[in-house]
Amino acid sequence: MAALPGVLGEPIRFVLNWGRRYSLWVFNFGLACCAIEFIATSMGRHDFIRLGVIPFAHGPRQADLMVVSGTVTDKMAPAIKRLYDQMPEPKYVISFGACSNCGGPYWDSYSVTKGVDQLIPVDVYVPGCPPRPEALLHGIMRLQERIRAEESGLGGVERIDPLSVDGRDAVAALTAPPVTPPPGVVVPSGVVWHRSARPGEGPAVGPEGRLPLTELTVDRAGAPAPFGDDQALPLPPDQLDYQHPSGGDRQ
Amino acid sequence: MTPDEVGARVVDLAGGTATVSGGADWARATVDVAPDAWTTAARAARDDAELAMNYFDWLSAVDELDEGFTLVAHLWSTSRRHGLLLRTRVPRDEPAVPSIVDIYAGAAWHERETHEMFGVDFPGHPGELRPLLLPEEFEGHPLRKEFVLASRVAKPWPGAKEPGESHDSTAARRQPMRPPGVPDPSEWGPGAQR
Repeated sequence: MAALPGVLGEPIRFVLNWGRRYSLWVFNFGLACCAIEFIATSMGRHDFIRLGVIPFAHGPRQADLMVVSGTVTDKMAPAIKRLYDQMPEPKYVISFGACSNCGGPYWDSYSVTKGVDQLIPVDVYVPGCPPRPEALLHGIMRLQERIRAEESGLGGVERIDPLSVDGRDAVAALTAPPVTPPPGVVVPSGVVWHRSARPGEGPAVGPEGRLPLTELTVDRAGAPAPFGDDQALPLPPDQLDYQHPSGGDRQ
Repeated sequence: MTPDEVGARVVDLAGGTATVSGGADWARATVDVAPDAWTTAARAARDDAELAMNYFDWLSAVDELDEGFTLVAHLWSTSRRHGLLLRTRVPRDEPAVPSIVDIYAGAAWHERETHEMFGVDFPGHPGELRPLLLPEEFEGHPLRKEFVLASRVAKPWPGAKEPGESHDSTAARRQPMRPPGVPDPSEWGPGAQR
Protein backbone atom coordinates (compact mmCIF):
# COMPACT_ATOMS: atom_id res chain seq x y z
CA MET A 1 0.00 0.00 0.00
CA ALA A 2 1.31 3.39 -0.91
CA ALA A 3 1.88 5.71 2.02
CA LEU A 4 -0.90 8.23 2.37
CA PRO A 5 -0.24 11.85 3.19
CA GLY A 6 -1.04 12.91 6.72
CA VAL A 7 -3.78 15.27 5.63
CA LEU A 8 -5.84 14.61 2.54
CA GLY A 9 -6.19 17.30 -0.02
CA GLU A 10 -9.11 19.68 -0.19
CA PRO A 11 -10.98 17.88 -3.02
CA ILE A 12 -10.80 14.54 -1.21
CA ARG A 13 -11.88 16.18 2.02
CA PHE A 14 -14.87 17.70 0.29
CA VAL A 15 -15.85 14.42 -1.32
CA LEU A 16 -15.52 12.45 1.91
CA ASN A 17 -17.54 14.93 3.93
CA TRP A 18 -20.12 15.20 1.17
CA GLY A 19 -20.52 11.44 1.15
CA ARG A 20 -20.68 11.14 4.91
CA ARG A 21 -23.26 13.80 5.51
CA TYR A 22 -25.74 12.52 2.94
CA SER A 23 -25.64 8.84 3.88
CA LEU A 24 -26.23 8.95 7.61
CA TRP A 25 -27.47 5.50 8.50
CA VAL A 26 -29.33 6.32 11.67
CA PHE A 27 -29.91 4.15 14.70
CA ASN A 28 -32.75 5.30 16.92
CA PHE A 29 -32.11 4.79 20.60
CA GLY A 30 -35.78 5.31 21.46
CA LEU A 31 -36.38 5.43 25.19
CA ALA A 32 -39.62 7.39 25.62
CA CYS A 33 -42.22 9.47 23.81
CA CYS A 34 -39.58 11.40 21.81
CA ALA A 35 -39.01 8.20 19.84
CA ILE A 36 -42.52 8.61 18.41
CA GLU A 37 -41.53 12.02 17.08
CA PHE A 38 -38.44 10.45 15.56
CA ILE A 39 -40.64 7.89 13.83
CA ALA A 40 -42.92 10.67 12.61
CA THR A 41 -39.88 12.41 11.16
CA SER A 42 -38.93 9.28 9.27
CA MET A 43 -42.38 8.80 7.75
CA GLY A 44 -43.82 10.26 4.60
CA ARG A 45 -44.91 13.70 5.76
CA HIS A 46 -41.51 14.85 7.03
CA ASP A 47 -39.36 12.19 5.41
CA PHE A 48 -35.78 12.74 6.49
CA ILE A 49 -34.58 10.28 3.86
CA ARG A 50 -34.66 13.26 1.50
CA LEU A 51 -31.86 14.68 3.66
CA GLY A 52 -29.86 11.49 3.34
CA VAL A 53 -30.75 10.06 6.74
CA ILE A 54 -31.48 6.37 6.30
CA PRO A 55 -33.46 4.79 9.14
CA PHE A 56 -32.73 1.19 8.18
CA ALA A 57 -29.53 0.48 10.08
CA HIS A 58 -29.72 -3.10 11.27
CA GLY A 59 -28.03 -2.21 14.52
CA PRO A 60 -25.35 0.01 15.98
CA ARG A 61 -22.61 -1.81 14.07
CA GLN A 62 -24.09 -0.64 10.78
CA ALA A 63 -24.97 2.90 11.89
CA ASP A 64 -23.28 6.27 11.47
CA LEU A 65 -25.65 8.34 13.57
CA MET A 66 -27.31 7.56 16.87
CA VAL A 67 -30.34 9.57 17.93
CA VAL A 68 -30.92 9.25 21.67
CA SER A 69 -34.61 10.10 22.00
CA GLY A 70 -36.11 9.78 25.43
CA THR A 71 -35.41 9.55 29.13
CA VAL A 72 -32.02 8.08 29.94
CA THR A 73 -32.00 6.28 33.28
CA ASP A 74 -28.99 5.19 35.28
CA LYS A 75 -30.01 1.60 34.69
CA MET A 76 -30.03 2.13 30.91
CA ALA A 77 -26.72 4.02 30.87
CA PRO A 78 -24.45 0.96 30.46
CA ALA A 79 -26.47 -0.17 27.44
CA ILE A 80 -26.17 3.25 25.78
CA LYS A 81 -22.42 3.32 26.36
CA ARG A 82 -22.03 -0.20 25.05
CA LEU A 83 -24.04 0.36 21.89
CA TYR A 84 -22.25 3.63 21.20
CA ASP A 85 -18.92 1.84 21.50
CA GLN A 86 -20.14 -0.72 18.96
CA MET A 87 -20.70 1.92 16.29
CA PRO A 88 -17.89 2.29 13.74
CA GLU A 89 -16.06 5.56 13.26
CA PRO A 90 -16.90 8.16 12.13
CA LYS A 91 -19.99 8.30 14.30
CA TYR A 92 -22.29 11.09 15.37
CA VAL A 93 -24.85 11.52 18.15
CA ILE A 94 -27.95 13.69 18.25
CA SER A 95 -29.53 14.17 21.66
CA PHE A 96 -33.24 14.54 20.93
CA GLY A 97 -35.52 16.09 23.52
CA ALA A 98 -35.24 17.68 26.93
CA CYS A 99 -34.78 14.38 28.78
CA SER A 100 -31.70 13.24 26.94
CA ASN A 101 -30.33 16.79 26.85
CA CYS A 102 -30.39 17.45 30.58
CA GLY A 103 -32.89 15.21 32.34
CA GLY A 104 -35.81 17.39 31.36
CA PRO A 105 -38.81 17.33 33.66
CA TYR A 106 -37.13 14.49 35.57
CA TRP A 107 -34.10 16.57 36.49
CA ASP A 108 -34.53 15.86 40.21
CA SER A 109 -35.40 12.18 39.91
CA TYR A 110 -33.50 9.48 41.76
CA SER A 111 -33.18 7.32 38.67
CA VAL A 112 -32.78 9.61 35.64
CA THR A 113 -29.37 10.48 34.16
CA LYS A 114 -29.07 14.25 33.84
CA GLY A 115 -28.19 14.29 30.18
CA VAL A 116 -26.79 11.66 27.84
CA ASP A 117 -23.69 13.82 27.32
CA GLN A 118 -22.45 12.50 30.63
CA LEU A 119 -22.02 9.15 28.89
CA ILE A 120 -21.19 9.76 25.25
CA PRO A 121 -20.11 12.81 23.21
CA VAL A 122 -23.07 14.63 21.67
CA ASP A 123 -22.82 16.59 18.42
CA VAL A 124 -26.21 18.28 18.25
CA TYR A 125 -28.80 18.92 20.97
CA VAL A 126 -32.44 19.27 19.89
CA PRO A 127 -34.52 21.04 22.55
CA GLY A 128 -38.22 20.45 23.14
CA CYS A 129 -40.52 18.24 25.13
CA PRO A 130 -40.97 16.53 22.79
CA PRO A 131 -39.51 18.47 19.85
CA ARG A 132 -41.51 18.75 16.67
CA PRO A 133 -40.28 16.69 13.72
CA GLU A 134 -39.19 19.95 12.12
CA ALA A 135 -36.82 20.45 15.05
CA LEU A 136 -35.17 17.11 14.34
CA LEU A 137 -34.86 18.04 10.66
CA HIS A 138 -33.18 21.26 11.76
CA GLY A 139 -30.84 19.35 14.04
CA ILE A 140 -29.95 16.97 11.23
CA MET A 141 -29.10 19.89 8.96
CA ARG A 142 -26.96 21.43 11.69
CA LEU A 143 -25.12 18.10 12.01
CA GLN A 144 -24.61 18.01 8.26
CA GLU A 145 -23.11 21.48 8.38
CA ARG A 146 -20.69 20.26 11.02
CA ILE A 147 -19.74 17.24 8.93
CA ARG A 148 -19.22 19.48 5.89
CA ALA A 149 -16.73 21.57 7.85
CA GLU A 150 -14.82 18.61 9.28
CA GLU A 151 -11.09 18.36 8.70
CA SER A 152 -11.23 14.73 7.71
CA GLY A 153 -7.83 13.29 8.24
CA LEU A 154 -6.99 9.63 8.05
CA GLY A 155 -9.79 7.76 9.74
CA GLY A 156 -11.94 10.69 10.68
CA VAL A 157 -11.85 13.29 13.39
CA GLU A 158 -10.56 13.12 16.94
CA ARG A 159 -13.35 12.95 19.48
CA ILE A 160 -13.20 13.41 23.21
CA ASP A 161 -14.73 10.71 25.34
CA PRO A 162 -16.47 12.47 28.24
CA LEU A 163 -15.87 9.46 30.47
CA SER A 164 -12.13 9.28 29.97
CA VAL A 165 -11.22 12.84 30.98
CA ASP A 166 -8.87 13.22 33.93
CA GLY A 167 -7.72 9.66 33.39
CA ARG A 168 -10.63 8.30 35.36
CA ASP A 169 -11.57 4.72 34.67
CA ALA A 170 -15.24 5.49 34.48
CA VAL A 171 -15.81 3.40 31.37
CA ALA A 172 -15.20 0.16 33.20
CA ALA A 173 -17.76 1.13 35.81
CA LEU A 174 -20.35 1.86 33.14
CA THR A 175 -19.73 -1.13 30.92
CA ALA A 176 -21.61 -4.05 32.37
CA PRO A 177 -20.17 -7.52 31.93
CA PRO A 178 -21.77 -9.77 29.32
CA VAL A 179 -25.04 -11.38 30.20
CA THR A 180 -24.47 -14.46 32.31
CA PRO A 181 -26.29 -17.52 31.04
CA PRO A 182 -29.23 -18.71 33.14
CA PRO A 183 -28.56 -21.61 35.50
CA GLY A 184 -28.68 -24.96 33.81
CA VAL A 185 -27.15 -23.79 30.54
CA VAL A 186 -23.71 -25.29 30.11
CA VAL A 187 -21.36 -23.05 28.16
CA PRO A 188 -18.76 -25.19 26.44
CA SER A 189 -15.23 -24.25 27.31
CA GLY A 190 -12.46 -24.08 24.79
CA VAL A 191 -14.64 -22.59 22.05
CA VAL A 192 -13.13 -19.76 20.05
CA TRP A 193 -15.98 -17.23 20.19
CA HIS A 194 -14.26 -14.63 18.08
CA ARG A 195 -11.62 -14.50 15.41
CA SER A 196 -8.65 -12.30 16.14
CA ALA A 197 -6.31 -11.00 13.51
CA ARG A 198 -3.45 -13.21 12.44
CA PRO A 199 0.07 -11.74 12.42
CA GLY A 200 0.45 -9.31 9.54
CA GLU A 201 -3.29 -9.21 9.00
CA GLY A 202 -4.21 -6.39 11.36
CA PRO A 203 -5.15 -2.98 10.10
CA ALA A 204 -2.31 -0.87 8.82
CA VAL A 205 -2.09 2.22 10.99
CA GLY A 206 -1.39 5.53 9.36
CA PRO A 207 1.45 7.86 10.27
CA GLU A 208 -0.62 9.61 12.94
CA GLY A 209 -1.70 6.39 14.57
CA ARG A 210 -5.11 6.41 12.96
CA LEU A 211 -6.76 3.90 10.71
CA PRO A 212 -6.15 4.70 7.05
CA LEU A 213 -8.88 5.07 4.50
CA THR A 214 -8.10 1.98 2.47
CA GLU A 215 -10.92 2.66 0.06
CA LEU A 216 -8.74 5.29 -1.59
CA THR A 217 -5.74 3.10 -2.30
CA VAL A 218 -6.98 -0.41 -3.03
CA ASP A 219 -7.09 -1.64 -6.58
CA ARG A 220 -10.70 -2.71 -6.51
CA ALA A 221 -14.02 -1.26 -5.47
CA GLY A 222 -15.48 -1.83 -2.04
CA ALA A 223 -13.90 -2.67 1.28
CA PRO A 224 -11.25 -5.39 1.51
CA ALA A 225 -12.50 -8.80 2.46
CA PRO A 226 -11.98 -9.74 6.09
CA PHE A 227 -10.14 -12.92 5.12
CA GLY A 228 -7.76 -11.14 2.76
CA ASP A 229 -8.14 -10.11 -0.85
CA ASP A 230 -6.27 -13.04 -2.37
CA GLN A 231 -8.44 -15.76 -0.83
CA ALA A 232 -10.70 -17.96 -2.91
CA LEU A 233 -13.98 -18.38 -1.16
CA PRO A 234 -15.37 -20.58 0.24
CA LEU A 235 -12.36 -21.56 2.28
CA PRO A 236 -11.50 -25.24 2.57
CA PRO A 237 -12.90 -26.68 5.79
CA ASP A 238 -9.53 -27.37 7.37
CA GLN A 239 -8.69 -23.66 7.21
CA LEU A 240 -11.79 -22.57 9.08
CA ASP A 241 -11.06 -21.67 12.68
CA TYR A 242 -14.64 -21.44 13.88
CA GLN A 243 -16.20 -24.26 15.83
CA HIS A 244 -19.90 -24.56 16.33
CA PRO A 245 -20.53 -24.37 20.08
CA SER A 246 -22.79 -27.42 20.06
CA GLY A 247 -19.85 -29.69 19.33
CA GLY A 248 -18.00 -31.30 16.47
CA ASP A 249 -20.82 -33.47 15.15
CA ARG A 250 -22.28 -30.69 13.00
CA GLN A 251 -20.45 -29.82 9.86
CA MET B 1 -71.70 -8.84 45.37
CA THR B 2 -71.74 -5.21 46.36
CA PRO B 3 -68.62 -3.70 47.96
CA ASP B 4 -70.36 -3.79 51.34
CA GLU B 5 -71.04 -7.50 51.01
CA VAL B 6 -67.49 -8.22 49.85
CA GLY B 7 -66.03 -6.35 52.80
CA ALA B 8 -68.34 -8.07 55.28
CA ARG B 9 -67.47 -11.48 53.86
CA VAL B 10 -63.72 -10.85 54.13
CA VAL B 11 -64.12 -9.61 57.70
CA ASP B 12 -66.11 -12.76 58.54
CA LEU B 13 -63.31 -14.94 57.24
CA ALA B 14 -60.17 -13.06 58.27
CA GLY B 15 -61.11 -10.29 60.69
CA GLY B 16 -60.25 -6.66 60.36
CA THR B 17 -62.45 -3.69 59.60
CA ALA B 18 -64.25 -3.08 56.34
CA THR B 19 -64.95 0.23 54.63
CA VAL B 20 -65.89 1.20 51.11
CA SER B 21 -63.63 3.40 49.03
CA GLY B 22 -64.83 6.42 47.11
CA GLY B 23 -65.52 6.29 43.42
CA ALA B 24 -69.32 5.88 43.20
CA ASP B 25 -70.02 3.06 40.76
CA TRP B 26 -66.39 1.96 40.84
CA ALA B 27 -66.09 1.79 44.63
CA ARG B 28 -64.05 -1.05 46.10
CA ALA B 29 -64.43 -2.86 49.36
CA THR B 30 -61.46 -1.86 51.53
CA VAL B 31 -60.46 -4.14 54.39
CA ASP B 32 -57.81 -3.21 56.94
CA VAL B 33 -56.28 -6.26 58.57
CA ALA B 34 -53.48 -6.79 61.06
CA PRO B 35 -50.12 -7.85 59.55
CA ASP B 36 -50.60 -11.30 61.11
CA ALA B 37 -53.83 -11.77 59.17
CA TRP B 38 -52.36 -10.60 55.83
CA THR B 39 -51.85 -14.06 54.33
CA THR B 40 -55.04 -15.38 55.92
CA ALA B 41 -57.08 -12.64 54.29
CA ALA B 42 -55.41 -13.12 50.89
CA ARG B 43 -55.96 -16.88 51.02
CA ALA B 44 -59.58 -16.45 52.10
CA ALA B 45 -60.23 -13.98 49.27
CA ARG B 46 -58.84 -16.43 46.75
CA ASP B 47 -60.32 -19.68 48.04
CA ASP B 48 -63.73 -18.65 49.31
CA ALA B 49 -66.43 -19.66 46.85
CA GLU B 50 -68.35 -16.41 47.20
CA LEU B 51 -65.32 -14.12 46.90
CA ALA B 52 -63.40 -16.13 44.25
CA MET B 53 -60.71 -13.45 43.79
CA ASN B 54 -58.62 -15.30 41.24
CA TYR B 55 -56.74 -12.30 39.89
CA PHE B 56 -53.95 -10.43 41.69
CA ASP B 57 -53.74 -6.93 40.25
CA TRP B 58 -51.06 -5.05 42.16
CA LEU B 59 -49.36 -4.52 45.50
CA SER B 60 -47.66 -1.38 46.74
CA ALA B 61 -47.08 0.68 49.87
CA VAL B 62 -47.74 4.17 51.22
CA ASP B 63 -45.29 6.01 53.46
CA GLU B 64 -47.33 7.26 56.43
CA LEU B 65 -44.32 8.87 58.19
CA ASP B 66 -44.51 8.19 61.94
CA GLU B 67 -47.39 5.77 61.56
CA GLY B 68 -45.32 3.36 59.49
CA PHE B 69 -46.14 1.98 56.07
CA THR B 70 -49.50 0.98 54.66
CA LEU B 71 -49.37 -1.98 52.30
CA VAL B 72 -52.16 -2.18 49.75
CA ALA B 73 -53.02 -5.08 47.49
CA HIS B 74 -55.73 -5.01 44.86
CA LEU B 75 -57.50 -8.29 44.16
CA TRP B 76 -60.17 -8.97 41.57
CA SER B 77 -62.57 -11.73 40.73
CA THR B 78 -62.85 -12.26 37.00
CA SER B 79 -65.85 -14.56 37.38
CA ARG B 80 -67.89 -12.42 39.77
CA ARG B 81 -66.52 -9.03 38.72
CA HIS B 82 -65.89 -7.56 42.12
CA GLY B 83 -62.68 -6.28 43.67
CA LEU B 84 -61.04 -5.84 47.03
CA LEU B 85 -58.42 -3.46 48.38
CA LEU B 86 -56.61 -5.29 51.15
CA ARG B 87 -54.59 -3.06 53.48
CA THR B 88 -52.35 -3.49 56.47
CA ARG B 89 -50.15 -1.18 58.53
CA VAL B 90 -46.60 -2.09 59.56
CA PRO B 91 -44.36 -0.13 61.97
CA ARG B 92 -41.68 2.11 60.54
CA ASP B 93 -38.72 0.75 62.48
CA GLU B 94 -39.25 -2.85 61.44
CA PRO B 95 -41.51 -3.03 58.38
CA ALA B 96 -42.23 -6.63 57.51
CA VAL B 97 -45.26 -8.49 56.26
CA PRO B 98 -45.45 -12.17 55.25
CA SER B 99 -45.10 -12.88 51.56
CA ILE B 100 -48.20 -13.88 49.58
CA VAL B 101 -46.31 -15.27 46.62
CA ASP B 102 -47.39 -18.82 47.44
CA ILE B 103 -51.02 -17.62 47.22
CA TYR B 104 -50.70 -15.24 44.26
CA ALA B 105 -47.58 -16.00 42.22
CA GLY B 106 -47.94 -12.67 40.44
CA ALA B 107 -47.07 -10.84 43.62
CA ALA B 108 -43.39 -11.76 43.36
CA TRP B 109 -42.26 -8.78 41.29
CA HIS B 110 -44.54 -6.43 43.21
CA GLU B 111 -43.00 -7.51 46.49
CA ARG B 112 -39.50 -7.05 45.10
CA GLU B 113 -40.40 -3.56 43.89
CA THR B 114 -42.02 -2.62 47.21
CA HIS B 115 -38.92 -3.93 48.97
CA GLU B 116 -36.52 -1.79 46.98
CA MET B 117 -38.70 1.33 46.92
CA PHE B 118 -39.86 1.33 50.56
CA GLY B 119 -37.56 -1.09 52.37
CA VAL B 120 -40.43 -3.32 53.45
CA ASP B 121 -39.36 -6.88 54.13
CA PHE B 122 -41.39 -9.87 52.93
CA PRO B 123 -40.33 -12.95 54.90
CA GLY B 124 -41.15 -16.11 53.01
CA HIS B 125 -40.53 -14.57 49.60
CA PRO B 126 -39.16 -17.29 47.31
CA GLY B 127 -35.68 -16.42 46.20
CA GLU B 128 -34.00 -13.26 47.29
CA LEU B 129 -35.50 -9.78 47.35
CA ARG B 130 -32.86 -8.39 45.01
CA PRO B 131 -33.48 -5.09 43.20
CA LEU B 132 -35.95 -5.31 40.35
CA LEU B 133 -35.89 -1.85 38.79
CA LEU B 134 -33.05 0.00 40.49
CA PRO B 135 -29.40 -0.47 39.56
CA GLU B 136 -27.71 -2.97 41.83
CA GLU B 137 -25.41 -0.40 43.40
CA PHE B 138 -28.28 1.92 44.34
CA GLU B 139 -28.40 2.82 48.02
CA GLY B 140 -31.55 3.81 49.86
CA HIS B 141 -35.27 3.45 49.30
CA PRO B 142 -36.29 6.26 46.93
CA LEU B 143 -40.03 6.29 47.60
CA ARG B 144 -39.60 6.82 51.34
CA LYS B 145 -40.32 10.39 52.26
CA GLU B 146 -37.01 10.82 54.05
CA PHE B 147 -35.11 10.00 50.83
CA VAL B 148 -33.22 13.16 49.88
CA LEU B 149 -33.40 14.28 46.25
CA ALA B 150 -29.82 15.51 45.92
CA SER B 151 -30.48 17.42 42.69
CA ARG B 152 -32.96 19.64 44.46
CA VAL B 153 -30.52 20.35 47.26
CA ALA B 154 -27.85 21.46 44.82
CA LYS B 155 -30.21 23.48 42.63
CA PRO B 156 -33.63 25.01 43.24
CA TRP B 157 -36.55 24.27 40.99
CA PRO B 158 -35.95 26.30 37.85
CA GLY B 159 -39.49 27.60 37.40
CA ALA B 160 -42.33 29.07 39.39
CA LYS B 161 -44.02 26.47 41.56
CA GLU B 162 -46.05 28.67 43.92
CA PRO B 163 -48.36 31.62 43.27
CA GLY B 164 -46.51 34.91 43.20
CA GLU B 165 -43.15 33.48 42.20
CA SER B 166 -43.11 34.26 38.49
CA HIS B 167 -41.77 37.66 37.51
CA ASP B 168 -44.97 39.17 36.14
CA SER B 169 -47.47 37.68 38.54
CA THR B 170 -49.50 39.79 40.90
CA ALA B 171 -50.93 36.81 42.75
CA ALA B 172 -50.53 36.82 46.49
CA ARG B 173 -47.67 34.77 47.81
CA ARG B 174 -48.47 31.96 50.15
CA GLN B 175 -46.53 30.17 52.80
CA PRO B 176 -43.84 28.22 50.91
CA MET B 177 -44.08 24.46 51.21
CA ARG B 178 -41.28 22.02 50.87
CA PRO B 179 -42.25 18.73 49.21
CA PRO B 180 -41.20 15.44 50.79
CA GLY B 181 -37.57 14.60 50.19
CA VAL B 182 -36.43 18.23 50.03
CA PRO B 183 -34.70 19.27 53.24
CA ASP B 184 -34.53 22.81 54.57
CA PRO B 185 -31.72 24.65 52.71
CA SER B 186 -30.37 25.88 56.03
CA GLU B 187 -29.98 22.29 57.24
CA TRP B 188 -28.62 20.40 54.23
CA GLY B 189 -26.77 21.56 51.16
CA PRO B 190 -24.21 24.15 50.14
CA GLY B 191 -25.84 26.90 52.16
CA ALA B 192 -26.18 24.91 55.35
CA GLN B 193 -25.32 26.65 58.58
CA ARG B 194 -22.93 24.57 60.61
